[in-house]
This record gives sequence, structure tokens and C-alpha cells, in this order.
Amino acid sequence: MASEDTAPSHSHHRDSIKSSVGNTAANRRRQQAISIGKERREALIRAKRLCRDSIFDDGDNEKGLDEGEMVIDEEQSVLNARTAQTVQELKSSLSYQGKDATQKTIEALCALRKLLSKSEVPPIEAAIQGGAVPLLVQCLSFGSADEQLLEAAWCVTNIAAGGPEETKSLLSALPLLIAHLGERSSGHVAEQCAWALGNVSGEDMELRSILFAQGALLPLTRLMLSNRESTARTAAWALSNLIKGPDPKAANELIRIEAITDTIVKHLKTADEELVTEVAWVVVYLSALSDKAISILVRSDVVPVLVNRLVGSESLQLLIPVLRSLGNLVAADAYITHSVLIVGNDITDQVLYGLIKCLKSEHRVLKKEALWVLSNIAAGTLEHKTLIFSSEAVPLLIDLLSAAPFEIRKEAAYTLGNICVGPTKGSDNKSDIIVTHLVPLVKGGCLPGFVNLVRSADLESARVGLIFLELVMRGYPNGEGPKLVEMEDGIDAMERFQFHENQEMRNVANALVDKYFGADYGV
Amino acid sequence: MDSMDSSVASPDLGLALGFPFWVASRRRFKPDDPFFASGNLERELLAKHVALDLTEDERFQLQRMEIADANLFCPIAGCGARLEYLEEFEDHYNTRHMASCSVCFRVYPTSRLLSIHISEVHDSFFQAKVARGFPMYECLVEGCGAKLKSYKSRQRHLIDKHRFPSNFEFYKKAHPSKHQRQKLQRKAYKGGDAKDQESFMDLDAKKESKQTRPKHYRPKQEVKTGTERESEMEVETKLHHPQTTETKVVTNSEAKNEKAKAETEMEVEERIEDIVSGISKLSTVDASSPSSVSFGHRHSRGFAFVPRSVRNQNQISKREQTRKP
Repeated sequence: MASEDTAPSHSHHRDSIKSSVGNTAANRRRQQAISIGKERREALIRAKRLCRDSIFDDGDNEKGLDEGEMVIDEEQSVLNARTAQTVQELKSSLSYQGKDATQKTIEALCALRKLLSKSEVPPIEAAIQGGAVPLLVQCLSFGSADEQLLEAAWCVTNIAAGGPEETKSLLSALPLLIAHLGERSSGHVAEQCAWALGNVSGEDMELRSILFAQGALLPLTRLMLSNRESTARTAAWALSNLIKGPDPKAANELIRIEAITDTIVKHLKTADEELVTEVAWVVVYLSALSDKAISILVRSDVVPVLVNRLVGSESLQLLIPVLRSLGNLVAADAYITHSVLIVGNDITDQVLYGLIKCLKSEHRVLKKEALWVLSNIAAGTLEHKTLIFSSEAVPLLIDLLSAAPFEIRKEAAYTLGNICVGPTKGSDNKSDIIVTHLVPLVKGGCLPGFVNLVRSADLESARVGLIFLELVMRGYPNGEGPKLVEMEDGIDAMERFQFHENQEMRNVANALVDKYFGADYGV
Repeated sequence: MDSMDSSVASPDLGLALGFPFWVASRRRFKPDDPFFASGNLERELLAKHVALDLTEDERFQLQRMEIADANLFCPIAGCGARLEYLEEFEDHYNTRHMASCSVCFRVYPTSRLLSIHISEVHDSFFQAKVARGFPMYECLVEGCGAKLKSYKSRQRHLIDKHRFPSNFEFYKKAHPSKHQRQKLQRKAYKGGDAKDQESFMDLDAKKESKQTRPKHYRPKQEVKTGTERESEMEVETKLHHPQTTETKVVTNSEAKNEKAKAETEMEVEERIEDIVSGISKLSTVDASSPSSVSFGHRHSRGFAFVPRSVRNQNQISKREQTRKP
């Protein structure tokens, strides 16, 4: 497959070979039924990025292979053989003592780098088997020529894009990579090393721990301040991989770095959507893992800026982390709903607008996560519930409750339920039911959706459905609740639980049927 | 999950552990929670420097792959079938768990339970054995194997040995009514063709609407035998007088006479339909394994008898049984 021949612009040079999803080539192939090989599938899901193109703006120098060509149809065995051979060449050039030693080394590295970046399935295994790693470590030694460092780091980057075993074989290279992030390094070298470290961090918690212990956090953060957008972007991405946990120690350490919040705010405001995206992911992990970070972030400018981006952007890639950051913050700290998103403030209307925009989008992820945020806001004050209730969200919610995929229906259910239940409790220790919300919602047709949830195989969904039915049967005025539930086949749905394997579900469902459809019903 | 965890003591609902009334509270997820999986996947796909195009099909497959790891299993006790997607549960339920009785249209989630029902309720042979003191009431929990002498002692066994709730009843009282069950059964098999239901139900159209016909939880006063008195079970067991029984079944919990009368009329009409249709399709109506047994016209008494071969019919052979890890 030939590469697209786009002239590499300086902020999209990485894209010159990449075929982004949704372009015409993809459209052409759309009709074919294709099953993805397991290996490819895993490669796609891994949080790693193969470096296929030079990070130099002006395109690479050329020796041998034509830059634009992809090595596609080359048989894997041939590729492996060439790789092994190239590694041998590298080895011999390193032991060569003559005056062209560096040049020879760079040539060998370059050849290896091309094999690792131009092929559809890079011959990573072959490179490692051939003994490339110790050689690469040697190439990364202090004082080496910039070009050598760059090519070596590039090779390591792509080896680190492989599987767990392959990535772990790079342990000896890690301290050097971290060192070359330093402020005295050439910008390109530092960026390439950041990329390599991003791939290594993306592997698993163990490697993240190692890198954290080796001191990768601080230099990466500094690199994120770079004036070169591509460097800032790469560093932010690598940082997000480094702190993603589940161990929160890196996230907790990051928030303690002075001026990190200001840096984040500054980058979130830039025009470069890719940079905003990567930094937003950093916020995602900070807000997911570090309570200290949450406390700081909710009181900072980060929230208003995130809301701005939520409202203003159309890019799915950007909206996901922005939405999730807000979601994490709202979920974790009541401060947001009570002190920042006060009803009546501009920012609150904006947030609602942005969330509704996501509800209307065609993307499952946006719908689901927006509903999650909305449900948490609906768990706030009475004013919040009324605000959402009177907005255009309600018909959307009922619609999503009825027709969307189950995971979205569940979130819509939480939202609707939270709208109907007050923050205060009565003397019977049950939450107050907001009848002025409940009645219109039921009249608006939300009951079938809830009854349907009761039939779900997912325990949590069924539970949500049942608990809402209880609200209706208890709180709907004039005792009309049970009848309304019956009309939607609610009894049948509840009776299914008679044979459910979960004891609690059996008990809950039976209790409801006994109470509301017992001997007195209909008399 | 915060919102549903706190149970409030609720004596009025008769639950020892309290009822989990809705509480509006925020829900928080850890970063590696499956809730975020699709968003994470999307991130990687969008950022990937893939050399090959990713078709829509491939993306879809990737998404499905991630959901497939979620370990979905059918929650009906004793089934444990692996579900690939939650959306397929409804289908699975309808094909594997809608075993319904062709006599009274009650629906059971497994054919084993259905055949237990048929034995206990529609089989005079069964009742004869019970009367002579044989332990005939099987434990409902598959694999237990216990047999008890009475409905009530079986009840007790379930509660004591298998921790069933004390208000559990195998014979849930007749709601919805037999008509409604029949209606629901048609809906399930025919995908909800309203016309079908209406034409059959014409008999009753004038007499009642679905909403006003509940009969629930009334102990049968007419029942004379001791065993029946203790149980809430309906008197379909009195099978040597099927006609009377059927009528009684339906009318037993009606307080008012007029209603009772209307019921009787209705039931008789319905019965005629039943006999005709019931006999011709006499078998456990189990959608997943249609019975090869069929009976021609018979004395109405035979209508209540289900041959052993059908009764002892084993579980659906095709059912995949994947136990939860």
C-alpha cells in the first residue's frame, strides 16, 4: 500500500503514511468482510504508537529505501533475514575502529530503523533475537552524535511498540532514554526518547513503576513545556501513559510539581487540538487517581477551560478525555456541583449544553459518558435536578432509555431516577420522591424502558429498573403506580426473578410483587 | 456503585436485610473500570499510526471483542449459559427459558421446572402416589435430588437447605390470569402480533380488560385436603375432576358472585377452545425443543395426563452449560 503523498506539514509529519480512519481508501474497503488477526488486533489496542516517520520537519535523508514506500508484501521470513543481517552489520560497525565508524554505525542504524518502521508487521522479534538491544544501548551512550542517538532511539521506540516480552527486553536502555530527555539534549533526540518511553510506559504497571523509580516523571513534565508543539504533544502523551496507574503514586507526584496546573491550563487553551487531547488525558488520570489532584483541579481554571472545550469542539478524539476529566471531577468531589456548577451561573448552562450535545452525537462513548456525568449532576441539589428536568435533555433521556444499547440505557436510567429523587430524606429514612418530576416523566413514557431494564441479564441494570419501579409504585399519586407498572408488563418482568440465581434479586423482586400485587390488589 | 448499596430497613416490605431504596448519589469509577473500556479503545484506534486502513467492520469487531471479555452469563438459576452480548439475553431467554405449560400457560425458565409443574399440578398419577405416601415433590434446585412428601415440606427444604427466601412460592398466585399468560405466550412466540391475541380473546373482550383481572394470593377455601390447605397451591391437583378444577382455579379467588359467574362462563368457553387446541398440541410447549409427542382427540381426562416420557424429559440437550469461573 503506497503511502499518501501529502506534503508533511510540520505538525502532521507523523501522518504522512498513516491512513486515518474514514478516509477514501478506508471507504473503498468498507464493503469487504474482514476479520482482524489476533496479533494485529492486540497491536491496535495496545497503548503504543509506532514511529513510522521522521520527526524532522523536512523529511528524512535517503539511503537505500525510498521513504514513501511501505514494505508490505515482503514475506515475513525474508524480512526477518534482512533484519538479522542488518543487526550484524550494526555489530560490526560498532567494533570498527576506523575513522568512518560513526558514519557506518549511523547507516546500519538507519537501515534497521527502516525495517522496523516501514513494514506492516515490524520484525521486532527478529531484531531482538539477532542481539539488537545491547547494541542499541551502546549506541545511546553519552556523547554520541545526535544522529546516532536519534536513530537508536527510533529503533528502541519501535521495538517498544511490540508485546510484553519484547518491551521488557529493553530494560537496559531505559536509564539512558531518561537521561537524554535532559535540557541539554538536541530537541529531536529528546522527543524521540520521550516517544520510546511512552511506548514502554504503555506496556504495564511494572514498567511504569520502574520508570517512575528511575526518575522519568520530572524530565518528561519539563519536556511538556517545550515550545515545539510536536515535542509537547509527545511528552504529554508519554506522561499520560506513565501516570495512568492503577498505582496512584505517579499521579500524586505529578500534581505536586510546581506550576503543573498552570501548564495544564495553558496547554488546554491552545489551538492545537492534538496537544489539547494529550494534555486532557493527563487530566483524566490525575482526576481518576489522585485525590489531591482533584482538590486542586476543581478550584483551578481547569474546569472552566474544560467546559469551554466541551462546548466548542467537535473532535471525538478531544471530547473523550475532556468529557471524562469533567466526569471524574464531578464524580469525586461535591465541590464542583455545589460551588462551581452553581445553577444560574453561565458555566452551568454551558456544561449542560455541552453534555446535551454529546447526547445527540452518534458516538456511543460520548453518549454513555455524558450520561454518566449528567447522572452525577442530577445527584446534586434540587436546583440541579430541576434544571435538567426543564431542559431539552429529558426527551433525549427517555429516548435513550428505550432505544439505545444497554450500557447507555443504564446510564439514562440513573439520570432519570436521580432527577426524581431528592437530596433529602423523610422520617422513614427513604429519600424524598420529587413527584413533580416523576409524574411527567412517567407520562412521558419512561416506564417501558425501566421495565425492560428489569429483564436485562445485567444484574446492575435489573436492579436499577426494579428500584425505579418501586419509586413509581410508592410515590405516584393516588396509588396509581402499581397499575401503571402492570400495564407495562411490569409484573411479568418482576416475576422473572423468581428463578434468578441472585438471592438479593429474588428477595427484592418478590417483596415488590408481594407488597403491590398481593391479595388486596384490584379489589 | 454508591447509589444502590445502602439498604434501608423496611419492615413493610418484609425484607430482613432492608430494601435498597433509590438514593441519588454520585457514582465514581476507577480508571481501569470496564465502564471506560470503550472510550480507551477509541483513543487507541484514533491515535494509531496504522499502515493499513481500519474498516468499519474491523472497528466494530474490536469493540465487540472488548465487550466479549466481560464474562456474561445467563442469570437464571442453573443455566449459566455464556452470553456473548447482553443484547442476546432476550433471545436466549425466549428460546431457552420460556418453557410454558400447554394446559395452564404458566411459564417456567427451564424445562425441568416445567415438567415438575406438570407432574405436580396436572397429573393425577402423581397425586395418587402422594396420597399413598410416596415422596414425590422434587427439590427445585437442580442436582440436589431430594424428594419430599408434601409441597410444604419441599418448601421447608428449599428454605432450610438452599436458603430460599421464606416467602418463596413455587406456585406464584395466578397473576397475570391464565388469559394473560396465554396472551403473553403468544406474544413471545409470534413476536407480539396483536391481531392474533385479539381474535382469540374476542370471547372475553367485552367482559374484561387486562387491567382489572387480578387474582392473587388467596388461599383456596374450597380445597378440602390437608395438604392443599397448607399450600397456597391451586387446586389443579384435583385432577379427577378436571372440569370442575379448571373452573375453580380461575374463579377461586373472586369475592363477588357476579364476577365469579362471568368467570365461569368465560372459563367454560375458554375451556372448549382449550380442549380443542390443547389436545392437538399436547406437549410441553418448549420453544427450544419442540416435542415430538402429540395426541389425537381424547377423552378430556387424558388432557390432563402427560405421559412419563414427556414428564421425565430431560433438560434441553443443546443447552450450553458454562459454569461461572
